[in-house]
Amino acid sequence: MIDLAQPQRQSPLAIVFLGLRALRSLGVVQLAVLALFLVRGAADGRLVVIGVVVVGLFTATSVLSWWRYTFQLVDGELVVTRGVLRVDRLTVSVGRIQSIAIEQELLHRMTGLVKVVVDTAGSSQAEFTIDAVARPVADELQHQITVRSPITSGAASAEPERPAERVVFQHTPGRLAIAALTTSPWAGLALLAPLFALDEVLIEPITDELSAVAPDADVGSLGWWLVPIVAVAVAVFVSLLNLGRVFLADWQLALRTDSTTLRRTSGLLSRTSTASSIARVQVMSSRRNPLQRRAGLHDLHLSNAGQGDIRLIGCRDDEFADTAAIAGLTAVGDLPLDRRVQPAEIWLRVRNTFVVAATAAAGASFVVGWWALLALVPIPAVWWLTWRHVRTHRWSVGAEFATSSRVVASSTQQALIRKTNVVRVTQSIFERRRGLAQVEVATAAGTITVGMIPIEEADAVRDVILHGVETDRRAWM
Amino acid sequence: MSEAFTNEPIAVDDLPRLRNDSFVSVDPRYVWGQLAGLTVTAVAVVAIAGAVVWVSGAVLWPTVVGGVVAGALVALATGSMLEARRLAYQLREYDLSLRSGVVRHRVETIPFSRIQHVSVGRGLVERSLGLATLEVSSAGPDIAVPGLSVADAERIKQVVAERAGVDDEAIDSERDEVTAGRLGETPPSTPGQHWPPPPASPPPGSP
Repeated sequence: MIDLAQPQRQSPLAIVFLGLRALRSLGVVQLAVLALFLVRGAADGRLVVIGVVVVGLFTATSVLSWWRYTFQLVDGELVVTRGVLRVDRLTVSVGRIQSIAIEQELLHRMTGLVKVVVDTAGSSQAEFTIDAVARPVADELQHQITVRSPITSGAASAEPERPAERVVFQHTPGRLAIAALTTSPWAGLALLAPLFALDEVLIEPITDELSAVAPDADVGSLGWWLVPIVAVAVAVFVSLLNLGRVFLADWQLALRTDSTTLRRTSGLLSRTSTASSIARVQVMSSRRNPLQRRAGLHDLHLSNAGQGDIRLIGCRDDEFADTAAIAGLTAVGDLPLDRRVQPAEIWLRVRNTFVVAATAAAGASFVVGWWALLALVPIPAVWWLTWRHVRTHRWSVGAEFATSSRVVASSTQQALIRKTNVVRVTQSIFERRRGLAQVEVATAAGTITVGMIPIEEADAVRDVILHGVETDRRAWM
Repeated sequence: MSEAFTNEPIAVDDLPRLRNDSFVSVDPRYVWGQLAGLTVTAVAVVAIAGAVVWVSGAVLWPTVVGGVVAGALVALATGSMLEARRLAYQLREYDLSLRSGVVRHRVETIPFSRIQHVSVGRGLVERSLGLATLEVSSAGPDIAVPGLSVADAERIKQVVAERAGVDDEAIDSERDEVTAGRLGETPPSTPGQHWPPPPASPPPGSP
């Protein structure tokens, strides 16, 4: 039995992680420069001495940091003591902790340890990381914090029973592959980001050397027929990169729940576990592009108060419905979504686009003549997109405030109205002239907006929402 | 013996309305505060433009830039006067509303049960005019009601703090640390007040 009431120290291996973090704080580019500098000048004895001193300093700081860093749970508060020269004693009420994530990076996997990231309400200074602890300690901490929260379990439950956790769903590699191949592939370029960061150090010398080898190479002379081939090659390349990104980040993506918490786990090299109490879910959004629609998949996003958002890719309709039900929401297919918006939005957007396009065309006509009329091409596109948006935009208000639209991609947003923090009714000049208005329902983790509805309807919706919030005694977060 | 749970339908027309004619305008001195700030800016712009003319001898560009800035300040002053006419608040039993905006009209309402902090702020100009700004924070957006007399601001803060269950004494000393009881709970009931309102929904426990 792990007694978290006693001060807990991280695993001694945390010294390595603390040292690495200190090194990382120097910056990727600086580290690469330092490494190159040391490799090129390794023969110089003075550099070796400097290196030994630097490594010694990092080691000593890391050991002291590890020794001074303790954490414990006392009377519903997480107390963290840290600092070498200046000792900080951080006390966070468990009720204010928004989410607690357990992550396992490659080095953690090799050592059997995990990293715990605690996110609190409000102050960014109160967010902290426990670099390396044994898995049982992290699990116990996550459990105690998410379940012992006075909001979710009641103040009387001093030693709660660990409720049985069930798996809502777990994605197979095949599902992940479909999810990756049906989403925009450009996110895969994120895998190349470290290379861009090293641009000055590594890539520029390489390109300089290439230009020295072939100084007269002219891409234009290779022929336009290469363009589609290059385009296809790039598309395949970024799709593969995206596939790799999804496999790395979302391998064995699973959503688990007990009666009060949601836990998302995923990751290939670094395993991440994000837990949040169900009551903290504020807004649920979904999105699917035409390819995902064909594959029958949705991307879900549960916006939580704080940093503990839960993103779930490649969910089938039944998994979407299950997740919504856990969050206390209605499956999107069962929502009434019986209200529509006014078509005035089409006129507004087309008019605004026309003004901008006509001004641009008039200016450009002095330079390119009649070709300037091409600036007007976006107008029918904007008309079609807005017309389609207005035609497909549905919303409803009841126990939930929900909207749905489908232009090219379809999207939904829904929130329980008792999660509302502020409700606004706004009117632009355009809307005032036509007796229209916009309703904004703001929660602790996002705002749902519906515009271009009659002002009387907007006022009535505001009153319904306020009545719902003010007469509902259930905890909202 | 526990009260029997009922769940009668409610006609939307019978719900309490946020009436437009019940808003209370802010103190008329608010506009003077706004104009004082703009005047200080205008004086600074004129001084800088004059200094540039005096040092460089160029007249055209400092005059053009000064003219544009002066025009913008006049527009801002007009906007401030219109804003002051529109700025109003409404305090009801369970929420606080603010009406604002000149170009985009805005009415925003924050239920007391969602308030996390409440405080009264006074800037330099506000202090000289005897005004204050009531700042109300939620876990989502915040609302600031400027242009209140100090007495009104303190009174409203007191009411809001009581109804939201916020310890307003602690607010002044430790503003960042004060929360409305525990996050997510509705305020505790106070003798003599209908708070919390009668349940129109199932009891606590569900997500």
